[in-house]
Amino acid sequence: MAFLLKRAGYALALLAALGPAVQAAPAVHTVLIDGMRFIPQTVEVKAGDTVVWRNKDPFPHTATATQSGSGGPSSPAIAPGASWRFKAAKPGSYPYLCTLHSTMTATLVVK
Amino acid sequence: MSKFTHKLLCATIAGAFALAGSAFAQTAPDDAQIAGIVVAANQVDIDAGKLAQKTTKQAEVKSFAKQMVTDHTGVNKQAGALVKKLKVTPTDSDLSKSLKAGGAENIAKLKGLKGKEFDKAYVDHEVTYHQAVIDALDKTLIPNAKNAELKDTLVKTRPAFVAHLEHAKQLQSTMK
Repeated sequence: MAFLLKRAGYALALLAALGPAVQAAPAVHTVLIDGMRFIPQTVEVKAGDTVVWRNKDPFPHTATATQSGSGGPSSPAIAPGASWRFKAAKPGSYPYLCTLHSTMTATLVVK
Repeated sequence: MSKFTHKLLCATIAGAFALAGSAFAQTAPDDAQIAGIVVAANQVDIDAGKLAQKTTKQAEVKSFAKQMVTDHTGVNKQAGALVKKLKVTPTDSDLSKSLKAGGAENIAKLKGLKGKEFDKAYVDHEVTYHQAVIDALDKTLIPNAKNAELKDTLVKTRPAFVAHLEHAKQLQSTMK
């Protein structure tokens, strides 16, 4: 029993040591494209994180920063069922839209 | 196309939908008929888009037409998969028949036109058509859909028709 407790203690210590490292690692955030909407409407990430746009609609969409060359996303057409990954490198607030359906707008915030 | 023929055409399309609408006031479409209407509505716009892609010389009209073919083909593929899953066979109704007849009439008329006349007639019809389909979705299709998945698909597809309508209107405004 004492042995088991000791092991549990080690495990906890190990988790505690790993905790901060796990938090600091670049995260992957998913934006769903569904029913002609970007979900969530605003996604906040840290510089170095990856954002994945996943298209669940039956036709293609894009995620394109309204200001080109700003450091925001600029995807090709994302086919139905497909995804597009973007590494958010530069801090800023990037309003973006689907160039094929300009009624679809959202914002990516890179901290 | 003269302004008069254009007005007449718009009135005809609006009339067809109004007639179909009143027919539904008596008998609401069932899910199989709703599926038939969805398939017909998309096919009509795919056919017009394919003709426009071949005929127009204007880059913006061509890319709009290409997108109409892509988007409406996608919606029809999704509708096809859904009816298969639900074991529903799309069936004809007054509205699906009037949509098909209106589509055939539009194609016949467009085939007689060239250049700017063609572009204007195509885009004008796209504005009228998308508005009419949105009205049909709101008044007839969404309220009467019984199956939850079918209703959900209609609700999720509606904004695509709105975006297409906005796009068509924006093209139309550059042609005046």
